[in-house]
Amino acid sequence: MRKLMGYELRKLFGRRLTQAALLAAVLFSALFTVSTYQNKYASYGGRQASGGEAVALDKEVAARYAGELTDEKVRQMMDELAPKSGPQGLNAIYLYQNAMQSAVTARFSDMYGNWNGLRVAEVFGEEISIGYVDGWLSASRDMEKSFLFLSFAILIMLAPVYSGEYGGVDNLILASRYGRTKCASAKALAGILAAVLVTAGMLACNVGAAYLLYGREGLDCSILFAPLALTEGYIPFNITCGALLGYQALLSLTGAVCTAGVGLVLSAACRTPMIAVVASAAVHIVPTLLPVAESSPLFRLLALLPVYQMQFEALMSLGQLKAGMPYAVLALPVSAGILAVGYALSRRIFAAHEVA
Amino acid sequence: MELKTVELTKQYGKKKAVDCMNITLTEGVYGLLGANGAGKTTLMRLLCALQRPTGGRVLLDGQGIGSLGEEYRGLLGYLPQGFGYYPNFRAIDFLLYIAALKGLEGKAAERKARGLLEEVGLSREAKHRIRTFSGGMKQRLGIAQAMLNDPRILILDEPTTGLDPKERVRFRNLISAFSKGRIVILSTHIVSDVESIAERILVMKSGRIVHCGRPGEITSEIRGQVWECAIPAEQADRYVAQMNVSNLRNERDGRTVLRVIAGDKPMPNAELAEPNLEDLYLYYFREQDTGGGQVRERDSLAAASGAAPGHRASRDNGAPAAEGLSGEASGCGRDGEWKGGDVR
Ligand SMILES: Nc1ncnc2c1ncn2[C@@H]1O[C@H](COP(=O)(O)OP(=O)(O)OP(=O)(O)O)[C@@H](O)[C@H]1O
Ligand SMILES: [Mg+2]
Repeated sequence: MRKLMGYELRKLFGRRLTQAALLAAVLFSALFTVSTYQNKYASYGGRQASGGEAVALDKEVAARYAGELTDEKVRQMMDELAPKSGPQGLNAIYLYQNAMQSAVTARFSDMYGNWNGLRVAEVFGEEISIGYVDGWLSASRDMEKSFLFLSFAILIMLAPVYSGEYGGVDNLILASRYGRTKCASAKALAGILAAVLVTAGMLACNVGAAYLLYGREGLDCSILFAPLALTEGYIPFNITCGALLGYQALLSLTGAVCTAGVGLVLSAACRTPMIAVVASAAVHIVPTLLPVAESSPLFRLLALLPVYQMQFEALMSLGQLKAGMPYAVLALPVSAGILAVGYALSRRIFAAHEVA
Repeated sequence: MELKTVELTKQYGKKKAVDCMNITLTEGVYGLLGANGAGKTTLMRLLCALQRPTGGRVLLDGQGIGSLGEEYRGLLGYLPQGFGYYPNFRAIDFLLYIAALKGLEGKAAERKARGLLEEVGLSREAKHRIRTFSGGMKQRLGIAQAMLNDPRILILDEPTTGLDPKERVRFRNLISAFSKGRIVILSTHIVSDVESIAERILVMKSGRIVHCGRPGEITSEIRGQVWECAIPAEQADRYVAQMNVSNLRNERDGRTVLRVIAGDKPMPNAELAEPNLEDLYLYYFREQDTGGGQVRERDSLAAASGAAPGHRASRDNGAPAAEGLSGEASGCGRDGEWKGGDVR
């Protein structure tokens, strides 16, 4: 069985189209990371910087206020950082100077750049720890896009697992002793393993790159005290950046295995890899195209599908369960179900395949 | 070991590719002859359980091959017609992969794969990628993979396609040596490929076995119907269009000698010739080119004897075209059933 899986993995990764798709996913991911990093901007104390220098400046500002967020600290930040509304009457909340400033004005400023009168307890309901979180949160955003790309690369990779044999090798495989049994299983297992491997690889690359670019600061800080772009419509409950990355890693892996489940079934059911790619990509993307508002109860179900697991933010934004766990943990049983059905159904379809 | 089909039928829409076939195969080499579309590939796929029959069953020693599953496939070796392969695999890796599918692993698989590459003359190309192989080399690789598990039942669909004469001889020798105690079925259009190695010839037409017997014997059916006659060379085209001509030979004196298959003397100077398998093949399949004149004649004979169209009438109905064809002596039952075992 292990031998057969080895052959299947070799076939999977040996295909040019797969290599090209994975390479494209990696390149896109690198592009997102680099462009996010280079577009970083910060100004503080008369200094302006971009790219790596902006990151350093943001860290310098964050270090001044790092630790537990208190009302005292909020007032101090508002005094020292908050810009006043510009001459065109632009809402002060939308004026960006640096990550810490944007974070404090997003929560505690009125449109003129004055304190909005809210206390920490009113805004967050609990004590939170603040610091330099912009790097990790930006990296997390980039990863979402990368994983969405990767999920399509996974579908391209898995499309030929079964359907690729229907071009003639099926005659040999299905007439052989273990073709309909062990080989069918080995194909499904290799497909799932390959999906997990490429996702884990992508995760490692992204986290590694983020660590190199932004450093390890902020992992124990709350995601709630972040620049405006990471506040509106973002995950609404208090977890640390480290926990956020943990959930993202988990959901990208569960997303990958259930993407694999869907991909394998369609690979077994379609006559050619091309049809399988188109069909599985359509099935994968369709939930995001449905006219379902994020506030609708139906969305809570849709968000558990692989495409949202891979994107993770929409799913995490659905809040927490009663026990305090994110709603997103429901993706685990859903993934297990999709995976089990995908595994069993795909090998069954292949085993029952009639050569043409 | 006995492989048997019971009213085996495979239908594609209205087309019956295999039509209610009853055959029993015991150990030996069987040559399956038939024109394009006769149903050879379909029959072989049914025997390999690669397709589900529309009706009937395939039994191995009385048990349905479907229910035998892995056990049956473990006995099987199959070379499909125009089989698929992985272009980027090296020949040896391809064989090792198929060996793994057949349950062979480790040293034993390696030894077997290398031995077979040697036997099909590919040992020097063992490490070459399959995409660099010629058609004949791929075919030999296909033959090797079919034999990896020392199959008790070896089914080869047009195995000699693309092989040069030297490789054909090598193939024939390989199969002859291998076939002892096994059922080997090979389909072909090329009569000479099976003439020398097949112990029995099955002639398939429109999904049915219309004829069977030992190579030397089954031609006796058309004894008295194969003629040779010399005509002026310029008239050859006209005769070829009108008659069932199995061969045409130009002589130095400007004449052409035609080999004609006909119930009656085709022309006054015609002389009877000894029939061969090729003549028999043409006798059955010529009408597909000439518009069916002869098939109508033969089918009307079959109909007169109560057999379904496409079946050969049996000897005891007295129809001349059925001479030497059927009856228990040659192993073909009256209903078209043929018992390979009975031939022995
Ligand atoms: N998948 C299919 N769908 C529809 N018809 C089919 C299919 N496969 C075979 N047929 C038909 O069944 C008949 C038998 O085909 P088969 O391939 O068994 O013939 P064959 O004797 O192997 O021919 P050849 O010598 O050309 O290989 C043909 O008429 C063919 O058109
Ligand atoms: Mg064929």
